[in-house]
Amino acid sequence: MKAHVELDAGAKTFASGLLPELIAALRRVRPGDLIAVTSSEASVGVDLEAWCRFTHNSLVDTRVEAGRSRWVVRCGEAPASADAARPVGSRLWLYTNFDCNLRCDYCCVRSSPKAPRRALGLERVRRIAAEAAELGVDEIFVTGGEPFLLSDIGEILLACAAAAPTTVLTNGMLLAGWRLESLRSLPRERLTLQISLDSPTPERHDRHRGKGSWARALRGIERARAEGFRVRLAATVSSDAEADEFRRFLDERGIDEADRVIRRIALRGFAAEGVALARADLVPELTITAEGVYWHPVGAEDADMLLTPDIFPLAESLAALRRAFERENEHRHRLAAIFNCA
Amino acid sequence: MTRTIWLGAVAYDPKVVTIWEGMRRYFHEEAQLPVEVVLFQSYEAQVSALLAQPDDPAPRIDIAWNTNLAFLQAEAWSQQRCRPIAMRDTDLGWTTKIVAVNGGPVGTLTDLRDRTLALGSRDSGHAAILPVHFLEHEALIEGRDYRTLRFNTDLGKHGDTGTSESEVVRAVLDGRADAGAIGSPFWQTLRSQRLVPEGALVEIWTSEPYNHCMFTARSDLDPALERRFADALAAMSYDNPSHRAVLEAEGLKRWVAPRLDGYEALREASARQGFFKRPTG
Repeated sequence: MKAHVELDAGAKTFASGLLPELIAALRRVRPGDLIAVTSSEASVGVDLEAWCRFTHNSLVDTRVEAGRSRWVVRCGEAPASADAARPVGSRLWLYTNFDCNLRCDYCCVRSSPKAPRRALGLERVRRIAAEAAELGVDEIFVTGGEPFLLSDIGEILLACAAAAPTTVLTNGMLLAGWRLESLRSLPRERLTLQISLDSPTPERHDRHRGKGSWARALRGIERARAEGFRVRLAATVSSDAEADEFRRFLDERGIDEADRVIRRIALRGFAAEGVALARADLVPELTITAEGVYWHPVGAEDADMLLTPDIFPLAESLAALRRAFERENEHRHRLAAIFNCA
Repeated sequence: MTRTIWLGAVAYDPKVVTIWEGMRRYFHEEAQLPVEVVLFQSYEAQVSALLAQPDDPAPRIDIAWNTNLAFLQAEAWSQQRCRPIAMRDTDLGWTTKIVAVNGGPVGTLTDLRDRTLALGSRDSGHAAILPVHFLEHEALIEGRDYRTLRFNTDLGKHGDTGTSESEVVRAVLDGRADAGAIGSPFWQTLRSQRLVPEGALVEIWTSEPYNHCMFTARSDLDPALERRFADALAAMSYDNPSHRAVLEAEGLKRWVAPRLDGYEALREASARQGFFKRPTG
């Protein structure tokens, strides 16, 4: 991970003068920039994590090479999330596959036509959906890859929609032929299509996602609406200005607030630039791939987000997520528990 | 039959309800003393209730669980007729610490000149009022000799919550301040629980000791009732498991008689900084 400032701490620790250097580095960067700290003292990691938690910076990457550790810190808090108030475990994400007909240059899970499918499979989806219903999951999101590449996507969505209201994330480009036919058989009141559209005009969308993809996404949106499905538009943007521009575009078309998602590019997967995110920045949302259970859909193939390779029983996966969330919040809880006058 | 004693406490956290529920149960069931607890949102409102006269529209309480500042305000505004009853053993011998970055530009009080000192809530004795006062005694005047970065969070709670002290430490750790003033209990907890990187911060100064909270009686409370209340407190034992749960939650091992020698610095500081000007309305 490329950083804006490289700080070689040598053998220094926080007890021997590292903090003044870290503060000096902090003064040279802007919010969102990355500082890399390299040290031969592995113990710096624990203290750096404590420093990050206290100062609301975020430790987003840790690597060990040739006996030296390199930690990357994102300066400043991550953009506020609207998800903060949602109960942990109320949302379930399923990565049904990782292959995709597009190769978006910011894809956080490196999906592309060349990516191995790594399919979750219909049988596992059915079991997950059945157990999710028992656990009180009240929203299921089906994503990939491009889920509509799967020949059994209709059955997958049917199983999910039977368990909870379901949203399928798609680039909208494949909604024709047998895929459109299978979509027609699905319950409109239980299924929403979330279609990616990154900009009001083709240029930026096509630059990220491939030539002609904007026009085909628009046709997909129209088809889904014509079939009577609720469509949510999702833009992935790289700046507040882009977000504002897209918001105006949606306003002009009278798109309801509930039918829009605008998020920043995350520095994960293929992305070369974006918001660096760590677990601590994300309210966890139970995310399942063929490889196991992850903290959040952003980074659902990265080792730092993996909770457990065992999906079943789903109740245990959810318990593992809650335990991890408790651990993540431990610092905040312990700090908040210091009282002077009980 | 003994009349009800109305006891005030400030609710700065949900756990306060549990603590005073436990105290009330003890008074009723073991001490046979009818105590009812009234929770206030601020010490200003609580002190008003302690000083309220029968014809005042404000609620009236007989005893207040006060911070050191609230105790001194009640004393000052009642012309010294409000009386101290008891305090926690842990209210004795507090200090304020000034902490700075290990290896940074501030290693002594003198280094604070032209530097930034982070302070907690302006109504916190330990994290704002006293450090400014003690530094004056060291010929360091706020605004003249050093700058301040103040975190006036949870005003009205007199620094009870620790929120502002947390902001003070954060400001020192990220370099917005060169040093910060916090209470000794907060500093001890940070270190013992390793909430800050080990060795990252150093104490550069420790104040003289002072005392903290105090049960305070209204001026016309029947002395016999006051005595029964103090006796009931003194009878609580850390060795008794049911008492211990309450005492631990309240942060003490035993209630002790008032020690008034540890309030003079705050009295002087509060007078100089305008905290004895009684709010109107």
